[in-house]
Amino acid sequence: MYIIHGTWIPKDTDDFIQSGAFYVWIETGSVQQTAPGYRLKYLAERELTEVLADEFKLAAAAYIKQHSRTCNLQLPGSGGHPLPSPELARWLGVTPPEDEALALIQHPVSAFPLLDVLQTLGNLHFLTTYLREDTQPGQDLLFWIHHAHALKSIVLKDQYIPALKYRELSGKHKGAQNFEIYPGWEIVSTEYQDQLQLALQQMPLACTTASEGQQPIQYDKEGLLRHFSECTLTQLITQTRLPAVFENKIRGTLLHDCLNAGQTQAVQKGASALERYRQWQSWQQALTVQYGDGFQLGFQLLDAADEGSPWQLNFVVSARQDPSLKLQLDDYWWLDPKARKALLNTFGADFERHLLLELGYAARMVPLLWRGLETDRPTGLTLTLEEAFAFLKEEAWVLEGAGFKIIVPAWWTPEGRQRAKIRLKASGKKIPAKADTGRSYFSMDALVKYRYEMAIGDQTVTPQEWQQLVDAKTPLVQFRGQWVELERDQMQRMLEFWQNHGQQDAELSLGELLQKAASAEDEVDVSQNSVLAEMLAKLQEPARFQPITDPPEIHGTLRDYQKRGVAWLQFLEEIGLNGCLADDMGLGKTLQVITRLATHRSQVRQPSLLVAPTSVLGNWQKEIEKFAPQLSTLIHHGSERQQTPADFKALCSERDLVITSFTLARKDAKLLQGIKWNRVIIDEAQNIKNPQTAQTKAILKLKARHRLALTGTPVENRLLDLWSIFNFLNPGYLGTQAQFRKQYELPIQKDNRLEQSTVLKKLVQPFILRRVKTDKAIIQDLPDKVEHKQYCNLTQEQASLYEAVVREAEREIEEAEGIQRKGLILSTLMRLKQICNHPRQFLQDNSPFTAERSHKLERLSEMLDEVIAAGESLLIFTQFTEIGEALDKHLKNLHYRTYYLHGGTARKRREQMIGAFQDPDSEPSAFILSLKAGGVGITLTQANHVFHFDRWWNPAVEDQATDRAFRIGQTRNVFVHKFVTLGTLEERIDQMLEDKKKVAELVVGSDESWLTELDNAGFKRLIALNRSTVLD
Amino acid sequence: MAKLTRTWWGQRFIEALEKFTEPGRLGRGRSYANSRRIHSHSIKDGKVTAKIEGNINPYFGVYKTPMYTTTVQLTPMSQAQWDKIIPHLAGKASMISQLLMNEMPAGIEEALGDLGLHLLPANAKDFKTQCSCPDYSNPCKHIAGLCYFLAAHLDRDPMLLFELRGLSHQNLQQALLKTPLGRILAQALTQQELPLQPVTSYYTRPRSLNVEKKVSYRDFWAGEKRLTPTLEPLPPPGLPAILIKKAGDSPPFWHQQQSFIGVMTEFYERVKKHAKI
Repeated sequence: MYIIHGTWIPKDTDDFIQSGAFYVWIETGSVQQTAPGYRLKYLAERELTEVLADEFKLAAAAYIKQHSRTCNLQLPGSGGHPLPSPELARWLGVTPPEDEALALIQHPVSAFPLLDVLQTLGNLHFLTTYLREDTQPGQDLLFWIHHAHALKSIVLKDQYIPALKYRELSGKHKGAQNFEIYPGWEIVSTEYQDQLQLALQQMPLACTTASEGQQPIQYDKEGLLRHFSECTLTQLITQTRLPAVFENKIRGTLLHDCLNAGQTQAVQKGASALERYRQWQSWQQALTVQYGDGFQLGFQLLDAADEGSPWQLNFVVSARQDPSLKLQLDDYWWLDPKARKALLNTFGADFERHLLLELGYAARMVPLLWRGLETDRPTGLTLTLEEAFAFLKEEAWVLEGAGFKIIVPAWWTPEGRQRAKIRLKASGKKIPAKADTGRSYFSMDALVKYRYEMAIGDQTVTPQEWQQLVDAKTPLVQFRGQWVELERDQMQRMLEFWQNHGQQDAELSLGELLQKAASAEDEVDVSQNSVLAEMLAKLQEPARFQPITDPPEIHGTLRDYQKRGVAWLQFLEEIGLNGCLADDMGLGKTLQVITRLATHRSQVRQPSLLVAPTSVLGNWQKEIEKFAPQLSTLIHHGSERQQTPADFKALCSERDLVITSFTLARKDAKLLQGIKWNRVIIDEAQNIKNPQTAQTKAILKLKARHRLALTGTPVENRLLDLWSIFNFLNPGYLGTQAQFRKQYELPIQKDNRLEQSTVLKKLVQPFILRRVKTDKAIIQDLPDKVEHKQYCNLTQEQASLYEAVVREAEREIEEAEGIQRKGLILSTLMRLKQICNHPRQFLQDNSPFTAERSHKLERLSEMLDEVIAAGESLLIFTQFTEIGEALDKHLKNLHYRTYYLHGGTARKRREQMIGAFQDPDSEPSAFILSLKAGGVGITLTQANHVFHFDRWWNPAVEDQATDRAFRIGQTRNVFVHKFVTLGTLEERIDQMLEDKKKVAELVVGSDESWLTELDNAGFKRLIALNRSTVLD
Repeated sequence: MAKLTRTWWGQRFIEALEKFTEPGRLGRGRSYANSRRIHSHSIKDGKVTAKIEGNINPYFGVYKTPMYTTTVQLTPMSQAQWDKIIPHLAGKASMISQLLMNEMPAGIEEALGDLGLHLLPANAKDFKTQCSCPDYSNPCKHIAGLCYFLAAHLDRDPMLLFELRGLSHQNLQQALLKTPLGRILAQALTQQELPLQPVTSYYTRPRSLNVEKKVSYRDFWAGEKRLTPTLEPLPPPGLPAILIKKAGDSPPFWHQQQSFIGVMTEFYERVKKHAKI
């Protein structure tokens, strides 16, 4: 693991021009048995050069070697040694002391000064986020990546100007020429000011304490930020290569001088330099004055009542501090002097002068405005239709870009705009209400029959009307009472197109249609009130789905949004599209899928196939048993599984659903590909994110009528995952991987382009149903506390251990009596619970605490990943300290931020951990608590997920623990996940508790002693292992 | 060669001069327009007097660098005329706002034309010129040089025209104070030049603080606020060079023939291209 660090280091100099450089260095480390348990290392010059040159390709090795140097860091340390950074610490699985005051320790590192800082920081972000899993940016570097990104948009918007800096000389320079003037650059941008304020709060101290020199140093954050921005911008500009033609064009000008900014030879002296400075100053003043002023000038366009009437453009001012305070200039001039004076408090003392200046600046850019200034009380002006159109099309943008407020009629805004367009009107057949048998009406490549028609906004236009509009001489017309923009050339083309194609039916595949709808041009639209339009509208807005009626096939109640989800699944299958159900974890994707399976069993028995991680196979089976026991399932897993194609086929034909794991989807690829499935469902679809793996390839080859992907992680943000999932669902829809990379992945992830990201969203949105817990509609539909059991299987290893303990207990129970018998029962229960958690806990042999040995642990890790990825925090309760400890270490190794509270935690440390966890600005974290130490008293409402890793067989005690998160101060729904191991005592005791709940007489005590009341046969039944639930 | 004037009103001034000046003298006059030849100049009651360094010319019997006294005066307006002009200007926001922006109002000549007046010189009748050089011709190249010099001054300070036409600063102020809009201009005119803004370092200099002896691990590695989990997409490119457009195409320091906005637009584009963002 490499942690790249970096910060801006100003040159250690008193020179007037103080430059600086952005240094990066690399931290790495390894786990060691001896104290302190790890070894920390910063790459020395040779290794640094290798990594930066060969692996990251930042520059040529020789260059890096030549320019690298030693910088001095100051790092928080303990015992005279620096501590690892949080990223490395997490990877090493060590917990640095969070809140105690630590000494700063000087530490030299080899560091390399970046070239092209803005660009390289962007590349490092791309590299660490998307390319390399073994490399992470440190918090220091990550901060600068963000700030540099913000600086890019300043450059993108041309918000900087050539500048002159006036330096007064003192002392020996005193005389006639006691000043020097330096050309340079200045950022003029309100966004930049806002960014600085934000960055100041985000900047960690780590960014301020590195230096080139020997002396420990700490810079003020704001100064350092500004120094970085100014130096980096100047560097960027002065390194821009300009062609000789351009240089000749500007030779001798201020601009040309500014290209040598930051160099001492560019300095100017004397009266003419001073005069130029003053000229520049007055110019700069004109550009910057509005930023300090109390008001903003605006232009409000009011549309004409009808085509013959004039349009009105009004001058409006609004207060900067309170934009809701708005005043038409027309009203202002008629105020009495007292009222006007009162306004100056808000608008600024020099309001009228600045107003005239702002009006002048605006009019200089948009000369039309002068017409409104031919009076001593300017209030606005009237426009002709053509002028109004030009204003809307062009000039309003110019003014808005220059910082004026623009208010245009609603019909011109993107939402309200009515455009002329060609619409597709699906013709011929209707989509059958229910595609019960055989082929669906649509599929991705099924052809949609349609005709073209012409429309403006929502309204169909006859060719005659259209022709009249084309013949109209004006760019804006009132069409059926609404102002509409006419682009005559385009409309003429549309008319010709329609004349050529409009008469007969045409065909388009559904995939092409959706692609057309997503692309930026909106000339093509689908006619409303048509089956096709209804279909597209539904796809675009899943909220339109009517929830299905309560299905009698399901033993349980579905929530409203779940019924809507099932309707969506049904609709997609009916129209032959394959989608991805991506609801947040805890919203019940499983139940929605089971409902779909149960309500739509194919009449000819054609089984569906579900591929899922091994850790959830049992859970699926259990949930199906619970909600739809009439569905017959087959778990295709384990060494006993049927592997003969013919027999397998026969076996499958009797089932509704075959459930298998990703591993077997690969191993038994041939077998599974031999069957034509009704549906193939991929649970945790992020498992097929890598298109290169044999597993993904095998799954792509499965034959099915319908495909469905399930995931709880927001796939839209991980583009390669997205492509791969779509490659499974609707192959070809997003292009080949190479095309996708070029068209979307690179522009969006590397260059952060908004346009492509919008188009991609539109493309995939019809296929993804993602509801999040925080949606208003969902919150209303959910109880504040959602309890859910998570069923897991035992691994082969666990099963063997379990059986051995059971055999021994069965033998001994026959001979035991009284206290001894009680003791035996309790200790057996304890040992079996340990086995269900993890073999190591039972063996106590310090063997590896790995997920392969326990599906429970594996499932916990997977779920935790989803919770943290969603930016949420969680609690994990266990009654065993050895599990708490092991989990803490295990999760830290997986780079999660964790806290662990147990009986031995010192009071002060406990308070610190709670404080840090509850801090709303802290990273999402996992808080592990032992049930006894953490079950009462404390508040951990920052978490909205609670996991009970093992069970305390008393619901009251578990509820009390859950209430750490579910209590006053909790603003979100709380999700409680209780782990139950299938086929073991855990499942049986859970069932007993459920039954007891039903008869509403909770006779259980505060511990497990009630179980000792069982007779021998009952006890044996309780602990017996159901072999069929064991999975490897 | 750089133009001697960039503004339409400076240009109008030159055109008037060129109507009655012999082309050869105009050409030579241009080289006199820079301030190195014009050793001093002063304006009194609308009359500009300058000391101009001439050439050694044995043909005319000039053997050492001569110094000529040259004067240029525009025909002054009468008080009655000013009484018409000023209210006319100060009654329109367009005029005042252009003067505030340090520009000659674009419609001024047309507006005054309605009154049968003009502020900018139109022909020889508007000039009264004199020079102590041996050239028999008036205007000579020194007069032409001084006129070019004045035109360049007018570029930067269009209010100078009022003074050249005989309206003193004080009288202008008084006349302006009579209307509400004029008052705004009058106030702006009395305002001092912008104070110089001396800087103590070229870039903002980060201050060195006292190094904290003890810090918490958390404060060292995390700011008060968390960073957003992902970078916001960059906005699509907007209209080019919009910021500088606001201050017009003729900033006072720009003496080139090319459009300032045009040059800056190209420049900004090149920077973006180089930066690959």
